[in-house]
Amino acid sequence: MTFIQQAMLWGLFAVSIPVIIHLLNRRRFRTVEWGAMQFLLKATKESRGKKRLKHFLILLMRSLAIAALVLAIARPLAGGFLGWGGGRVETVILILDRSASMERSEKDIQVTKRRSVLTRVAQAMGELDGARLVLIDSATAKAQEVPSPEVLPELSFTAPTDSAADIPGMLISALDYIKEAKPGRTEIWVASDLQKENWAPEDDRWEAFRSTLSEEGFQAQLRILALNGRERNDFAIRVLSARRESEELVLDLEMNREEDTGPLNVTVNIDHMGARSGSEVAFNGQSQRFRKRLPLEGSKGQGYGWVSLTDNANKRNNVSYYAYGKEAPVQSYLVVENSTDEETLKALTTALAPGFANQQVAVRNPNLAHQVNYESASLVVWKAPIPGPPVSNQLFDYVKNGGVALFLPPSGDSQASFGGLSWDSIVEAPKEKFFIVNDWERGDGAFRDAGDGSPLPMDRVRAIKRRGIVGDYTSLATWRDNEPLLARRVIEAGQILFLSTLPSYTWSNLEQTALHLVTLQRSLDEGNQRLGASLFATAGEESSLPVGDEIRNRIDSYLDGDDPGNSDFEAGVYRLGERVIAVNRPTAEDSLETLTGVDLDTALADTGFSLLEEQSASGDSSLSRPVWRAFLLAMLLFLILEALLCLQPRRPANGTAPSPQPSS
Amino acid sequence: MKYDFLDSDVLSRLGALPVEARLAMIGNVVGKHRSPHRGSSVEFAEYRKYVPGDDTRRLDWKAYARSDRHYIKEFEADTNLRAYFVVDCSGSMKYASGEFDSKIQFARKFAATMAYLLVNQGDSAGLSCCDDTLHLELPPSRRPAHLQNFFEVLGELEPKGQTGLVDALHTVAEKVGQRALIFILSDLFCDPDAFGDALQHLRYRKHDVAVFHLMDPQEINFDFTRPYRFVDLEDSTTIVAEPNLIADEYTAAIQEFLIEVEARCHDVHADYHLVTSDRDYEAILRDFLTNRLPKKGKR
Repeated sequence: MTFIQQAMLWGLFAVSIPVIIHLLNRRRFRTVEWGAMQFLLKATKESRGKKRLKHFLILLMRSLAIAALVLAIARPLAGGFLGWGGGRVETVILILDRSASMERSEKDIQVTKRRSVLTRVAQAMGELDGARLVLIDSATAKAQEVPSPEVLPELSFTAPTDSAADIPGMLISALDYIKEAKPGRTEIWVASDLQKENWAPEDDRWEAFRSTLSEEGFQAQLRILALNGRERNDFAIRVLSARRESEELVLDLEMNREEDTGPLNVTVNIDHMGARSGSEVAFNGQSQRFRKRLPLEGSKGQGYGWVSLTDNANKRNNVSYYAYGKEAPVQSYLVVENSTDEETLKALTTALAPGFANQQVAVRNPNLAHQVNYESASLVVWKAPIPGPPVSNQLFDYVKNGGVALFLPPSGDSQASFGGLSWDSIVEAPKEKFFIVNDWERGDGAFRDAGDGSPLPMDRVRAIKRRGIVGDYTSLATWRDNEPLLARRVIEAGQILFLSTLPSYTWSNLEQTALHLVTLQRSLDEGNQRLGASLFATAGEESSLPVGDEIRNRIDSYLDGDDPGNSDFEAGVYRLGERVIAVNRPTAEDSLETLTGVDLDTALADTGFSLLEEQSASGDSSLSRPVWRAFLLAMLLFLILEALLCLQPRRPANGTAPSPQPSS
Repeated sequence: MKYDFLDSDVLSRLGALPVEARLAMIGNVVGKHRSPHRGSSVEFAEYRKYVPGDDTRRLDWKAYARSDRHYIKEFEADTNLRAYFVVDCSGSMKYASGEFDSKIQFARKFAATMAYLLVNQGDSAGLSCCDDTLHLELPPSRRPAHLQNFFEVLGELEPKGQTGLVDALHTVAEKVGQRALIFILSDLFCDPDAFGDALQHLRYRKHDVAVFHLMDPQEINFDFTRPYRFVDLEDSTTIVAEPNLIADEYTAAIQEFLIEVEARCHDVHADYHLVTSDRDYEAILRDFLTNRLPKKGKR
C-alpha cells in the first residue's frame, strides 16, 4: 500500500491519545466521602476480567478509529501491484517488454497485453502524485524519462515490435541508471508476459543483478506485473526456409498453436511478389511443419513474400516473411588426396551431386585447395591430411562464417589439427569382426531420424577399418567401444565434422547402406543454409540493419507499419542497398514456455520482489485504487463498535426491589 | 424558626392528621389510642355476666329488664401513645450528594415534625440516638416543654463512628416495657439478618415498628462518571475505583440489600418505607399518617 500524503502518517501517533487520556483520568481522581462502603467493596471484588476486557476493547476501538481516520487522510493506494510497499516513491522505472508476444490480446484485438499494461501504468503514475517515470523498453534497452506518463501508450518507445526482450539486460540497465542518476527512492516495475526465453533464468547476469540490488543503501523495490493470461487459442506461422528447387520456390513452414483442440483446417495465405493465394491446411497436433511449393515460372532473380494466417489472439505472429536469392547451383568442394581410390571418389562425388536439385561438386587436389571459392561453397569435404596455413586459415574462416567442413580419414599421416580436432592412427577390426555402431544421436546431426520419425539403419553399419579422432568434440554416433563414428565441433556459426571411416568396401559398408549419401546431403543442406541465411534476419538484431552506406526500405505491403520510429524492430521484407532480406520475429517469441514460480524465485532470490499475476490481459482493473473510503468506513465501524461497547446493558426489571416512595 | 429542621408551615398542614398506631397501645393516661384493656370510653365493647364484687353502677338495667339477668356493660379503654425515635447517628448518615439534605438532616426533620405532632395530640415522644453504641436516650414525655429538649438534642446530633443500630434496637426492646410505637430512622448499613433479629425482638415486645430506610439517591444510582477515591465516612477506609467498571456490580449489590432489608421488615410486619433524601419529607409524612388512619367501620 502506498500513501500519497505520507506526512499525514505521523498522525498515527494520535492513536495513543485515548490511552493517554485514560491514564491521565486514572491519575486525576477526586476524593469523595462515601457511606455505602460495604457495597463498594463488594462491587470492586466482583468486577472481574470481563469488564476490564470490555474497557480495553473500548480503548482499542477508539485508537483504531483514530488510526483509520489518519490513514484515510493519508490517501492510501492499494492494489495487488502496488501492494504494501509503503513510503513515497520518487521514481518509477518501467521495464517494458514490447516484444512480439506482448501483442497478444484476449477479447478486444485492440487491447493487447502491452497496451493494457501501459494504460494501467499511466493511471497508476497519476495516482502516485508526482513520481518520475523512466522507461526502459525491450527494443532499445535504454533508459529515458517520460515527462508525461499520461501519454505513455501513445509513445513510439512503447509501440509494439517484433523483436525479443532481454529482461536481465534491461534490469541491469535499470540498475546502471539508478547508480548514475541517483533518483531517490525508486521502484522498478517489470511488465512482461514471463516468456522464459526472454527472461533467461539461467543467465549469469541475474547473479550480478541480485548482488547489486541487495547492496546496502540501494533504494529500489522490484515489482513484477506478470501478464501471462491465455484465454484464447493462438496460432502462429513461421517460414523455416525458402529455397529454389529447379523452377519452384520451396517454402518450409511451421505452424504452431497454444492448445491442441483437434484437427482443424487453417487458411494459409501467401503473398508472393504481390500475387496472393490462399489454401487450406489440415492442422493436427500442437505444431506442424509442412511445405509449400510456388512456381517461379522462369524467374531467375531474387524475390520475397510473406505467409500469413487470419487474425487471432496475437496478430504479430500471424505472418512470416521470406526472401530468396538469384538462381545459383548448390556448390560443394571435394578435396581429395591423390591416393584416394576410384571407388571412394565416385561414391563421394555421386553423393554430393546425385544429379538433382541443381547441385554441383568440384574436386580439388589438396595442393590446389586455395582455389576453392569458399564464399559460394555450401560444403567442403576434406579427404586428405589436415592442411596447414594458409589453407587452414581460409578453411577456418569459412567455418566461422557458417560453413560446414566434413573431414574424412586420410590414408597417410596427418599430424596437424583443425579446430582442435586431429586424426589418430588407423585401426583395423580383428579378423572376421567388424566395428558396429552402438549409439547415435537421433534428434540432431547427420544421423538424425527421418522427417516421419523413423530412424536411420545405423545398426546395419559395419566397418573393418576406421581412424581415431583426437580432440574435444561431440559424438553424433559411436562404435561399440565408444570411439566416435561421427564427431562434431561447432565453431561459431559453422561446424566441423570428422567421419572416422570411408564409404569404401575396404573401410565400411556406408556406401551399401547409403548412409554416406544421407550424411553428405544433410551436411550440404546445413551448409547451404549459410547462403540462404543471408536472406533472413531477426528483428532487432544487427543482421537486420543496414551495413555501411546501405539504405533500409521496407518493400512488403503486409502492414503499413504501426510506427515509423520502430521500423528497426519490426518484421517485414527490407531492401538494404542491393540486398533483400526477410526480417522475422525471433523464434523465441513463439515459445510457449513461461517462467515458473521456482524460476522466478531463483532468478530474483533475496530481492524482495513482489509479483502480481494478471490472468486477463485485457483486464481493465487499475494497478492501484484509492482506498480511503474503506478506511473511513472502518473508522465509522470502530466508532459504532465503541458506542455499542459503551452502552450500558439494560438492567433487568426487578419487581421485588423496593423503590423510594413517590412524592404526592 | 429556631431549628432549621422544623418548618411551621409543614407543621400546620400536617397538624390536622392524627398519628395512629396500628396496634393497641398501653398508656398511662387516657388518650385517643386503642387500649387492650376495657375502660370508660363511649365506645361499647361487650356485655359480660355480673360477678360479685363488680361495681353495681355498671349494671345494665335495661338488659336486666329485658332478660331478668344481670349484665355488666363494658366499654373500650382509650389510652395515650408512647413513641420512640431510634435515630442512627453513625458516620454514614452524614452523607449527602448534591443539593439534597444529608440523611441525618432528613432524620432530624422527620423526627422533630413527628414528635411535635405526637405531643400536640397528647402522646409522648422519646428519642434514642445510636452510633456504635446507644449513647443518648431521651425518655418519652407528653409535656410540651419536653419538645424543647427533644429539638435541642436532635439539633446537636453529630454523626460519627460505625453503625451500632442492631445493639441499640435490642437495648430499646429491653428497656421499653410497655407497648410503644418505635420509629427507626437509619440507612440500615448493617447486617440484614442481625437487623431482622432486632426487629423480631421489638415485635416480641409487642411494639409497633415503623422503619424509615434513609438513602441518598447517589447511593442507589451510583451515578459517577470518573475515577474517585472513596473515603469511608465511618472508619476512613479508602478505595480508588473506576465507577464505570464497577457500577453494575454495585447496583446489583445495593438492590440485593434493599430487597433483603424489606423482606426482613415484612417478616415482622414492620412498616417499611424506603426514603431517598431527594424527596419531600412532608409528602412522605402525609402518606405515612394517611395510611395509618383507621379504615371506615373500624376503629
